[in-house]
Amino acid sequence: MISRHPSPEWLVEYSSGSLSTAQSIATTTHIKFCSTCETMVDALAHLGGTLLQESESVPVSMRLLEHVMTSIETDFAPAEPKSELPAKVVDGIAAALPQYVRNFLPAGDLRWSFLSPSLRLATIGVGEAEFELALHRIKAGGQAPEHDHCGQEITVVLTGCFSDEEGIYQPGDFMVRDAGDIHKPIAAQNEECICLSVLAAPIKLTGFKRLLNPWLKFSPG
Amino acid sequence: MMSSIHYLHKEFRRMSSASQWDIGLESVGIRQDKTAFAELFKHFAPLLKAFLMKGGNLGPETAEELVQETMIKVWRRAPSFSRDQASATTWIYTIARNTRIDWYRKQSRQDASNLRAEDIYDEVEGASPYASLLQVRSISTITDQLLELPKEQAGVLRLMYLEGMSGQQVADALALPLGTVKSRIRLALAKLKINLGKGQLAGDAQSD
Repeated sequence: MISRHPSPEWLVEYSSGSLSTAQSIATTTHIKFCSTCETMVDALAHLGGTLLQESESVPVSMRLLEHVMTSIETDFAPAEPKSELPAKVVDGIAAALPQYVRNFLPAGDLRWSFLSPSLRLATIGVGEAEFELALHRIKAGGQAPEHDHCGQEITVVLTGCFSDEEGIYQPGDFMVRDAGDIHKPIAAQNEECICLSVLAAPIKLTGFKRLLNPWLKFSPG
Repeated sequence: MMSSIHYLHKEFRRMSSASQWDIGLESVGIRQDKTAFAELFKHFAPLLKAFLMKGGNLGPETAEELVQETMIKVWRRAPSFSRDQASATTWIYTIARNTRIDWYRKQSRQDASNLRAEDIYDEVEGASPYASLLQVRSISTITDQLLELPKEQAGVLRLMYLEGMSGQQVADALALPLGTVKSRIRLALAKLKINLGKGQLAGDAQSD
């Protein structure tokens, strides 16, 4: 059975800050759906704090405190401005995305491309060469082409459900598929399914449809 | 009467689990207490400098610039600190980690967005109050048990948290299979009682 949650060691990488931007966005998205992982991440942050507390220290130069005290003397803006919302959000799906994802949509919009009659994809450029963040939309009852993974793929369901040979996946579910896993996702009959995904390397199609299918055109970055 | 006893009991629990740093940081948030801030600085700045030098592989000057940046954020964000939601050490750790992530991001890529690590992490970290007894207990377990961990397990956690390594980087650095690193992490988390539900762990174990 495939897990619906990030593994413990994945959450440690999240908490200690070694995941890529795309991976941490997918992880945050899952945690917002999952109180179990949220509690665990709080405990892991405490682990980080405790390790910091007990680590060795390096003396700082004499003037550093002075510098910092001077900057806060003249600091009359206690609240840092949050990153601004792009001016125009046209796409309804873009508008429903969390702010930390919308930050990467330069025009506040998504550009959908058709991969098959029932599957559309919009990539979200996070400026990483090794990982690609994207949204997938599978039409209600639609089937995504069978595909193979050259690299790791993470999927987080945002709305709707899809199923494959191994089970049904619901909003918040976080799945990791490794290179060599072949699967064939099908959306539920009653609702379009939208997923966030992180691809570590281009996908290759299996079967004869490979010639027709632009999954092949994925190029990270 | 009942309610005041209840209140005192709650206050007592709060006070007994709070460190001087929690109280100091709260005072910075509420009263813009500069004396308390200077005390926090003297305690945390040297820890942060070591943290940033190791994890970022930075020279002492750059590390101090980032210490300065981190401490100014601590000052600015102190009003949002609550002892019910985190300890000062944990709260400052997350700010330092985010500063380190942002610094790396700026160095290593042509990032078009103005995204900050805190935009991603603030959505979930410390978003729910951890005042429940269960969580307070698990927090003190972490602190107590960390010292009891076998060296090789604690060592993996230090490399990840303090030096900013991924599991794979730890495996490379220690010349161990990735699976061994993963199982050390899981054993350590079990001892620290940082556990996922049983079902989840079973599912994860099979997905390896």
